Amino acid sequence: MNDKNVVLVRNLIKDYGAKNFKTRALKGIDLAVYPNDFIAIMGPSGSGKTTLLNILSTIDKPTLGEVVLDGRDITKVSNKELSKIRRDKIGFIFQDYNLLDTMTLLDNIALPLALNGVSGKECIQRAETVSALFGLGEHLNKYPYQLSGGQKQRGAACRALITGPEILFADEPTGALDSRAGRDLLECLKNINEKKHTAILMVTHDPFCASYAKDVYILSDGLIKCKLSAGESRKEFYDRIIDVQTSMGGDFS
Amino acid sequence: MKMIELAFRNFKSNLKSYFSLIISLAFTIIVFFNFQNMLYSDTFKMLGEKNIGRIHTVVAVVSFVLVCFMFFFIWYSSNVFLNRRKKEIGIYIFMGFPNEKVGRLYMIETVLTGAAALGLGILTGVLTTHLFQMITLALSDIAVDIDFQLALRPVLNTVGVYLVIYLIFTLKGYLNITRSSVLGMLTGAKQNEYVRQNILVLLFKAMLGLGVLGTGFYLAVREGEGGAESQFGIVAAAIFVTAGVYMVFGGAIPFTFQEIARNKRFLYVKRRCLWINNVIFRMKKNYRTYAMVCVLSLCSVTALVAGFAMRERYDNIMKFNSTYTIQVISDRENLDADLKELIKQYTEIDYCSQIPITGLEGSVVKASENVSKYALVAYSDLKNLAADIGKEFPLKEPGEGQVVRVTHMYLLSLMTDREHRKVGIGGRDYEQIEETDISYLGYLQDQVSFYMVNDQEFAGLRTLGQKLHCYSYHIEDARAYQNVKEALYPYMEKIETGGDYIGVVSLDPESNQIYWVKVIFSLCIFVFLVFILAGGSIMFMKLYNDSFEEKERYDIMKKMGVDEETLGKSIADELGAAYGIPFAVMSIASCFSVHTLGMMMNTHLTTIHALSVLTVLAVFLVCYLLSVSVYRKNVGV
Ligand SMILES: Nc1ncnc2c1ncn2[C@@H]1O[C@H](COP(=O)(O)OP(=O)(O)O)[C@@H](O)[C@H]1O
Ligand SMILES: [Mg+2]
Repeated sequence: MNDKNVVLVRNLIKDYGAKNFKTRALKGIDLAVYPNDFIAIMGPSGSGKTTLLNILSTIDKPTLGEVVLDGRDITKVSNKELSKIRRDKIGFIFQDYNLLDTMTLLDNIALPLALNGVSGKECIQRAETVSALFGLGEHLNKYPYQLSGGQKQRGAACRALITGPEILFADEPTGALDSRAGRDLLECLKNINEKKHTAILMVTHDPFCASYAKDVYILSDGLIKCKLSAGESRKEFYDRIIDVQTSMGGDFS
Repeated sequence: MKMIELAFRNFKSNLKSYFSLIISLAFTIIVFFNFQNMLYSDTFKMLGEKNIGRIHTVVAVVSFVLVCFMFFFIWYSSNVFLNRRKKEIGIYIFMGFPNEKVGRLYMIETVLTGAAALGLGILTGVLTTHLFQMITLALSDIAVDIDFQLALRPVLNTVGVYLVIYLIFTLKGYLNITRSSVLGMLTGAKQNEYVRQNILVLLFKAMLGLGVLGTGFYLAVREGEGGAESQFGIVAAAIFVTAGVYMVFGGAIPFTFQEIARNKRFLYVKRRCLWINNVIFRMKKNYRTYAMVCVLSLCSVTALVAGFAMRERYDNIMKFNSTYTIQVISDRENLDADLKELIKQYTEIDYCSQIPITGLEGSVVKASENVSKYALVAYSDLKNLAADIGKEFPLKEPGEGQVVRVTHMYLLSLMTDREHRKVGIGGRDYEQIEETDISYLGYLQDQVSFYMVNDQEFAGLRTLGQKLHCYSYHIEDARAYQNVKEALYPYMEKIETGGDYIGVVSLDPESNQIYWVKVIFSLCIFVFLVFILAGGSIMFMKLYNDSFEEKERYDIMKKMGVDEETLGKSIADELGAAYGIPFAVMSIASCFSVHTLGMMMNTHLTTIHALSVLTVLAVFLVCYLLSVSVYRKNVGV
């Protein structure tokens, strides 16, 4: 824990709505993410998971509080710098893949690098390396419509990781996948986290999915209620998550 | 609430999107109406029957082209409109309205819109006829007074044509709505079935398209054989070029871009990956539009160049014909002194000439041109005449059995091969080695087909026809023309003896014989403007429509962290290709059409060609900049 943190959140508050009809979606979140972390955020529907992720990933702005990314407070940097941080330091995976349907998988994966001005040769090389890690080597010249959901999501992960971000944000990455494809994706993410030391922050409502993480934060009503850390086996961790979920009153979905 | 009330409410609340549809519909109506009005009004009565006949032919052709233009334009604008409204319509269906009912709602709304556009168009059309005719005449450089008058026929024609076209597309929209699903409506029906086209099929298409286009170009620049065959050749060239352009946009261009996209080292340079892939995607869906814009701008450039060329040609013909003011043909060889004395009573003589000619009847000569009078001149005589009036004389002396054709200027000639033709004179074949349209004999040269032979041949052929002498004068004071002419006739009668051939040709400087050329010139300018505006706005509408479909893709890229500047540049590149490719193809294709025009009118049109291409460029540039800014707004960049 003596490492420099990737993300630091202090007293994060987020309000939605106009002056008189405010809803407070986040009510004071404190959170630190370090390199090597693999965090899952769980919680019932409407508890503020997506809101938190959107703010951390700079897509949304907080109402109050401090979000430090890469040593800079994102509430205070210019838009231009923000997109630079987003480009170089952060990767995203969305529930619905969000691959561009107009280009091949290889093009999709290489796009962020090419946009960063990396030479064509290196783009190809790095795209091939990262896609091999996700078992997509044979599918590179296919278009998204020719790929299965799992392949698309792994492709999206490749695209998010090709720039070598410090942290990967994922909002319900397995939400649209069957359990087999979900497991494949999570194995790959775990692999990346262990080998490349990329921090991963994932929002999920699925305890099985969360059990791949090293730490699980339970969010409820805009506050972090508790933190669970992985033990000796994933099965055991999964059981503990289920226990907490039951004690908090049922299913998170 | 009743259907009609709901329709009215929608109409009021969506005034902005209706407004643009109404304006574009009204625009087509105004243009069409004005041309129709020209066809049925008496504007050109002053110009004489012959002029009117020719002008009307041209206006009728233009009207036909305008009907096509109206058709496409209404198609496009109603498409844009439907897409814009689809989401709202989808919500109605979602709320439980049956499709037929929503379809009817749409029908009522579009009928209201159409009626509003019709009213606005006709009203503005009527108000602008006067202006339109004034501009036409001013551009044509014709001074006639026009009375403001309104015939019923043009109104009825315009309303009829518009209603038929508009109803077709209203019905199409209705069917589109009643047959579509809620989901498709709500998402604006965007299901992307993009399939990269099979490279072999594409290659075949590319080759075929280039072949067809090449054939068209070959037909356009080929040295014509003359006559109907060439006329057929020009129509064939136009068809081949048009088809070829469509095929190039459906084959060669997507092929090129797909090949570019396969070369990843080239592709992965900055935002290239983004916009080239987008162009490929769009090209598959939009190639017909791009091709149409290309053909429209090609037509407009050709029309403008043709207009200018005709105008220039017209001026030259006028100059040609007015080389002399008075020309006298007689069988006597010694009239010069008398004639000079007679003319000098009224005005000084600028320059004059005389030359012996042999007049031949049409039956004696076998040549491809269709005239009834021929004449022969001798090489040295014509050379002397040229020296007398200070004209250049670049012609070679013909050898035995050879002739040089001394012809007039054509406004437009389908004969482009001017050498090595055979001419039969008195039963013997002569080879035409050269042709000139330098005005040695002015108006006479316009009326009679002259052949120059060498002096010996001339002497030999002297008995074949009538031995004549031609005296030509250019007077200094044009106002004296009538007086001279009136004095000339009694004199000629006096010297006429026993059926001798005699004639006077004179050119009235005020003649309006080929005024129609001037009118056509201004019509060409209008056609140019209409076509280029149509091309630009069709492209604009297409891209405007596309931008709504693209919004989601740009949202993804923004979420990915691509900054707006990069996205903006990528949009600029992509739209640049959308406007640039049709422009480039048009520029190349227009070289051929202009070349053909140049051959037909025997002039060089490079300057005017360059100017009209630049005008198109300017119009496209304006549309492009507008498109980029609207596109960026619509996709939220
Ligand atoms: N754009 C928004 N405008 C207003 N309220 C919102 C908006 N987004 C989310 N909320 C509210 O904030 C709360 C948290 O939402 P969200 O973060 O989406 O929850 P989760 O992802 O955990 O299901 C909810 O009560 C939701 O209604
Ligand atoms: Mg959520």
